[in-house]
Amino acid sequence: MRDILKMSLTLTIIAALSAFLLTGVHNITEPVILARQEREYYEAIERFFPEVEDFQTKEIDSNQYDLIYDQDGEELGVMGTIETQGYDGAIRYNLAVDTEGVIQGIVIVSHTETPGIGDVIETDQFQEQFVGKGYDDSLEDGEDVDTVSGATLSTGAMLSSIRRTVNTIAEQFLGEEREYIDLTEIPDGVYEASVDGTHGILTVEVEVENGEIIRVDVPEHNETEAYFVDSYPEIPERIVEEQRVEVDTQTGATLSAERIVDAVKKALGDAVPEIEDDAEGNGGDNNNEGE
Amino acid sequence: MKESNVYVQDLSRGIIKENPVFRLLLGMCPVLGVTAFLINGLGMGLAATAVLIASNVVVASLKNFIPAQVRIPVFIVIIATFVTIIEMILQAFQPALYDALGVFVPLIVVNCMILGRAEAFASKKPILRSLVDGIGVGIGFTLALGILSLVREVLGQGTILGPEPENTIHLFGEAFEPMGLFAQPPGAFIALGLLLAITNIIFKKYNL
Repeated sequence: MRDILKMSLTLTIIAALSAFLLTGVHNITEPVILARQEREYYEAIERFFPEVEDFQTKEIDSNQYDLIYDQDGEELGVMGTIETQGYDGAIRYNLAVDTEGVIQGIVIVSHTETPGIGDVIETDQFQEQFVGKGYDDSLEDGEDVDTVSGATLSTGAMLSSIRRTVNTIAEQFLGEEREYIDLTEIPDGVYEASVDGTHGILTVEVEVENGEIIRVDVPEHNETEAYFVDSYPEIPERIVEEQRVEVDTQTGATLSAERIVDAVKKALGDAVPEIEDDAEGNGGDNNNEGE
Repeated sequence: MKESNVYVQDLSRGIIKENPVFRLLLGMCPVLGVTAFLINGLGMGLAATAVLIASNVVVASLKNFIPAQVRIPVFIVIIATFVTIIEMILQAFQPALYDALGVFVPLIVVNCMILGRAEAFASKKPILRSLVDGIGVGIGFTLALGILSLVREVLGQGTILGPEPENTIHLFGEAFEPMGLFAQPPGAFIALGLLLAITNIIFKKYNL
């Protein structure tokens, strides 16, 4: 009995002392940590928007976006703080986009990609190819920007995340409206298209009825099954539910998910009777939103 | 003379005769995990040394109050406290190192080298000798991590003092293609194996 009392008492005292000590150190270090993170963020903002005077924070899909103003209250651009899934853990980065939807720069805040391979995402060489590109460019791999071979997963994750972020910023803050495929112009029917997958082609079937996507199927693929189950039927369901092709491809199998999206895009793109590529923003018939 | 001899022995034992990495092969997880860059290896070594010294001293000074049955949980709480303190300090004042060491800092808690010293040495010996022992083992650990990470950084990256670009010294010309394997975990095993072989030969030759 005595022993048990002594033992519990010792453990309690030790634990209490430890808690006191930790609280003390925490109180000293926490403000330093927070201040540094904030300072680093402001430095990043000032680097890309030197005339910054004020900003307004908005949260979209658990990412933080700051709309930057100069001293006259004019919008300078948007700074996004984005977290995305890399090859090995989360990548946090800041993306600066000006009011034209053009990327000003990228700052990697933290990542755990493989040293010597995936950490090329930190290099100027990789980041600079995005600067000056933006909403009006095709931010697809191999078009205006490239992934780095040998580090395809890390750089591919960054590339598609940046593309999504630019779209989000342009559409949510800058009032841009992408001319997505106009579903109402597609005749009823089943459309099929194939893209290159991990080990062979991936084919999708898209059924359109009354200007709505009612079914997306993947009759043929050679993706790694263990990953593929994460993107199918999840991605087709998202496409049918949101009635648009550009759905969020964040799943456990981002690569397969993007291939499905690419294939659907291709199928519907081919299905549009006449591909109109007229000057943007003339406000003609942008009715595809309000249907 | 006899007195000081004990301390010299305590100090050198941790570095050579019972070097935690080269002789005892203890605490291998950070040894393999964070030694891709010299700075990280040394940082890890120093962080573990600080915890080791502090826990050795505290364990030695509390040894008469700790009931034998609960000594292990008490040791773990003491070690965990110091590890958490080190972690918070690193995060506040050495953020680059904190990011580089990642999960290996909290894992110092379960580093068997530290618990091993608390159990085998500090819980039986006087405070001052435990302090010296902590310093000795800490130097031995840091030295081993330093050597391993130096080898890995030079072969795997062709640099020293990376990865911060402003400090990095490129040892070889532009044309140098580093052996990426040594920057990777398998390279850590290979480099450690080779180093163990070399140190074994040296230890044997000089009868250390």
